[in-house]
Amino acid sequence: MQRRKLWYTVSSSIIVIGLVSLFVKGVTLGVDFLGGTEIIVEFRNSIEIGEIRTVMDRIGLGQAEIKTFGSDRDILIRTGEQGEGTSVGDRIRSGLATNLPGNPFTVLKEDKIGPKIGDELRRDAVYAIVASLIAILLYVGFRFKFIYGVGAVVALFHDVLVTLGLISILDGLLPQLNLEISQNIVAAFLTLVGLSVNDTVVIFDRIRENQKIFRSMNLIDLVNKSVNETLSRTIITMGTIVLVLGILFVLGGEVTRGFAFTLLIGIIAGTYSSIYIASAVVVDWTGRTGGKGKLID
Amino acid sequence: MRKNRNKILLILSSIVLSLYFVYPTYKDNDLQSRLVHLRGEDSLRFVEENEADIRENRLKRIKLGLDLQGGMRVVLEVDVIKLLEDLAKNKDDTFTEIIREVRAESAGSDELAATILRRALERREIRMSRYYGNLRDNNEEVAAFLDNEATKAIDRAMEVVRNRVDQYGVSEPSIQKLGGTRVVVELPGVTKEGEVRQLLQGTALLEFKLLKEPDVAYRVMESIDRLLAASTTTDTTDTTAFAGDTAKISTPEGDLTPEEFAEKHPFFAVALVNPQQFPGEAIVAEENKEKIRRILEREDVRAAIPNDMQFAWSAKSRMLGEGKTYYTLYPVKRAPELTGGVVVNARATIDPNYNQPVVTMEMSSQGARDWARITGANINKRVAIVLDNAVFSAPVVRGKITGGHSQIEGMENLDEARLLEIVLKAGALPAPVEIVEQRSVGPSLGEDSIRSGLLSSVIATALTLLFMAVYYRTGGMVANIALVFCVLFLLAILAAFHGTLTLPGIAGIILTLAIGVDANVLIYERIREEIETGKTLRAAIDAGYGKAFTAIFDSNLTTFLTGIILYQFGSGPVQGFALTLMIGIAASMFSAIFITRVFFEALADRKEARISFG
Repeated sequence: MQRRKLWYTVSSSIIVIGLVSLFVKGVTLGVDFLGGTEIIVEFRNSIEIGEIRTVMDRIGLGQAEIKTFGSDRDILIRTGEQGEGTSVGDRIRSGLATNLPGNPFTVLKEDKIGPKIGDELRRDAVYAIVASLIAILLYVGFRFKFIYGVGAVVALFHDVLVTLGLISILDGLLPQLNLEISQNIVAAFLTLVGLSVNDTVVIFDRIRENQKIFRSMNLIDLVNKSVNETLSRTIITMGTIVLVLGILFVLGGEVTRGFAFTLLIGIIAGTYSSIYIASAVVVDWTGRTGGKGKLID
Repeated sequence: MRKNRNKILLILSSIVLSLYFVYPTYKDNDLQSRLVHLRGEDSLRFVEENEADIRENRLKRIKLGLDLQGGMRVVLEVDVIKLLEDLAKNKDDTFTEIIREVRAESAGSDELAATILRRALERREIRMSRYYGNLRDNNEEVAAFLDNEATKAIDRAMEVVRNRVDQYGVSEPSIQKLGGTRVVVELPGVTKEGEVRQLLQGTALLEFKLLKEPDVAYRVMESIDRLLAASTTTDTTDTTAFAGDTAKISTPEGDLTPEEFAEKHPFFAVALVNPQQFPGEAIVAEENKEKIRRILEREDVRAAIPNDMQFAWSAKSRMLGEGKTYYTLYPVKRAPELTGGVVVNARATIDPNYNQPVVTMEMSSQGARDWARITGANINKRVAIVLDNAVFSAPVVRGKITGGHSQIEGMENLDEARLLEIVLKAGALPAPVEIVEQRSVGPSLGEDSIRSGLLSSVIATALTLLFMAVYYRTGGMVANIALVFCVLFLLAILAAFHGTLTLPGIAGIILTLAIGVDANVLIYERIREEIETGKTLRAAIDAGYGKAFTAIFDSNLTTFLTGIILYQFGSGPVQGFALTLMIGIAASMFSAIFITRVFFEALADRKEARISFG
C-alpha cells in the first residue's frame, strides 16, 4: 500500500493510452448496435477478400465491411444499409452466388437489425452497465461502508476502461481476433464487473474482519495484512479462472472468442484493481478525512 | 454422523431429484442419436414404436438455443401508424401531412403512436373525431378507441403468424409478444429464409367455404380408403400401431378385430368418421395428422378427390374421449363463396338471452347482398370460416341472413369466441407488420459451436478438477465431488424450469465452475490458516467455514446482482448466459458450502481422522 502512488500512475497511463486509442481509433460497433445486415458465409474453397469486395461493388454495397472470420474460407460481410425485411441479405447472397459460381457457399449466420432495434439495444446496454454499477455501489456501501462502495466502483471503472482501451488498441490488428462490440461483448463486460467486484469484496471482507481484531492497527498496515492474507486465495482463484477462460479463448470457437478475450483481460485487470485501486482508494480517502482506521461501525 | 442425518437426506434427495430432471435430456439424446443411424422404413418404424417416449423426452429435455441448434429468430413489428392511417375516415392533405409528422416523431420515441397523433392534432386544434369514430366523441373517447385498436392489431398479427407457423410444420416454434407492438417468432431448424419471410409477412386470407354434403364427402373418403387398401404395400405394419383407436368405432362389417379393420380400411383406421356425432367430417388424432397429410398429398389419392373439393384441417385441436387430442378434417368446396374483405367488423360477446358466447359479424353492403344469396341457398348446410387454409369454425346456416348482420354460436367458451373475432377481423383489417430484426444461424455453425463449447468445457473442467485434487489432496477431492454435483444441479434446474441452453450459457456454466472453486479455495485457505494457529482439525474446519462464509456470500451476491441486471436487459443468448450464471451461483453455494461440510464432518468424526488440505 505504501507504493500506491506508483500503481495509480501505472493504471492512469494505461487508461490514458486506452482512452487516446478510443478517441482516435474507436471500437468497432457490431451490427447489434449499429443496425444493418451482417452475414457470415463459408465458401467451399479459400477466397480472397478482394474478390468479395468486387462483388459487393457490383451489387451496390461497396461500403460494406468485409473480413475473414476465423479461416480463409469464412467471410463476414457487414453493411449498415437498411432494406425492407431481409432484402439486403438476399441481395448479398444472390450477388455472391451469381458472381462466384465456381465457389459455392453456405450461410453460417445472418443477422438483420432494424435501425430502431439497434438504437434500443445500444440504450439497453448502457442502462445495464450503469444499473449494475449502481447496484454494486449500493450493495457494497450497505454491507460495508459507503466509501468501500466508492472504492469498488472506482476499481470497476478502471477495469472497464482498461479492457475497453485494450480492445480498441488490438481491434483489427489480428485477423483471428474479432473484437467488434456485440451483445455478447456487453455480456462479457457485465460479467467482468460481477467477478471483479467479487474479488474486491473478498479483500474488503478480510479488512472488515481484521479491524475487529486489531483495533489499534493503522489502516495501511491493516489493508496490507488483509491483502497478504487473502493473496494465496486470489492467486489460486484467479489462476483457475484465467486457465478456464484461456481454454475457452483457444478452443471455444470463433463465436465465443471475443467474449473470452474480453473476460480474460477484464479478470486480470480486476484482480490487480481489487488490490491496488479499490483498497488504495479506501486508504487514501480515509487518510484525507482523518479517520484513524475507524472504518467499521 | 447422526446429527447430520437430515442434511444427508436433503443432499441425497436433491441428487435424486436432479437425476430425475436431467434424465429426459440424456434419454432424448440417446433416442435421437439412434434415429440418426436408421434409414427410410427403419427410421419410420423406430419413430412409431417409440412415439410416446420420444415425445415425452423431447418435451422435458433441456432445450438448445437457436445459436446451438440452428434456426431463425424473427421480430415482427406492427406498423401502428399505418394502422392509424387505415382506420381514418375522410382523409385529406392535412391528415397525410400529420401522419408524416407522427412517423418522424415516433421514430425516436417510446410513446404510443396514438398519443403522438393526438398531440399533433391538438397542436393544430383539430378534433380527433374529424377522422375517427363519431363526430360527437370527444378526444378522450377517440384516443381510447385507437389504443384499443392498436392492442387488438398485435393480437391479430400474432394469431395470423401462429396459424401459419402451425401449418408450416416447424417443430417447437415459439411465438411471443414483446412489448406493445412486437411479436418474436423463433423457428428452430428453419433456414429457408425467403419462404419464412413470405410466411410471416403476407396479408392474411380469410375465406368462407361451403362444406361438401356429408354423403358426397363420405363417398370420396371411401374411395381413398379402397385405394389405400388396394395398394397393399401401404405399410400394413404400422397401421397396427394405431389400431387401438379403432376399437371404439363401430364398423359396417360388424365385429372386426382392430388389426383386421386397419388392414381392410387403412384410411378410416386413422381418419375416424362418425356420421351421427360429426356428420360430414373426419377426426384425426394428433399423432396421425402428419400421416393423413402425407396420404392426401399422394398423386393417386389426389386424383380420387373431385376437382371442386379439397380437405382443410381445423386450426386448433380439441380433446375428445379419453384425453386424446384430435384435429378435424373438413371436406370443403375448393372455390370460396366469399373472401374476408367483405367483413367490416366482428365482436365476441355473451348472448344475454341464452348466456352463451357468440360472435357477431357485420358485412359491407355488397358483401351483405352476396351473403343473403349464399345463406338463402344453403340453409342447414355448413359454412367453414377459413383463415390461410385453416378452418376456425364451421357453423350451420340456420336461415337466410339479410342486412349483413350474422351471429355465430356454438363456441365452448368466451376465449374461443374471441379467437374467432380475431380471425374474422384479420380478413377485414389486416395488421400491417414488418420484419425489424432477423437472426439466423446455420445448422453447421450450431454444430461447430456445440462441439467447441463441449470440448472447452470438458478440458476446463478436467484441468480444474486435477488442480484441486493435486493442490488440496483430500479437501480437493471433496471439492471436486461437490463441483460435479453443482453442474448436475445446474442442469437439473435448467431442465425443471424449461430453460434454454445457449452458447453464452455454456460459458456461464464454465464460469460457475470457477465460482464454485473460488468458494472452496476461500474455505480451504481459511482452514489452513486456522490449523497453523494450532487449532484441532475439527475446530479448524468449523472456524474456516464460519469465517469464509461472509466473504463467499457477499462476493457471490454481487455477481448474482449483475446476473439479474443482465437477464433484464439482455436478449436471447445473453439471457441464457445470465440464467446459467444465476442458477450456477445458487447451486455452487449449496454444493461448495453445504455438501462439502457434511463430507468433512463425517470424515472428521471417524476415529483416526486425518484430512489433508494440501
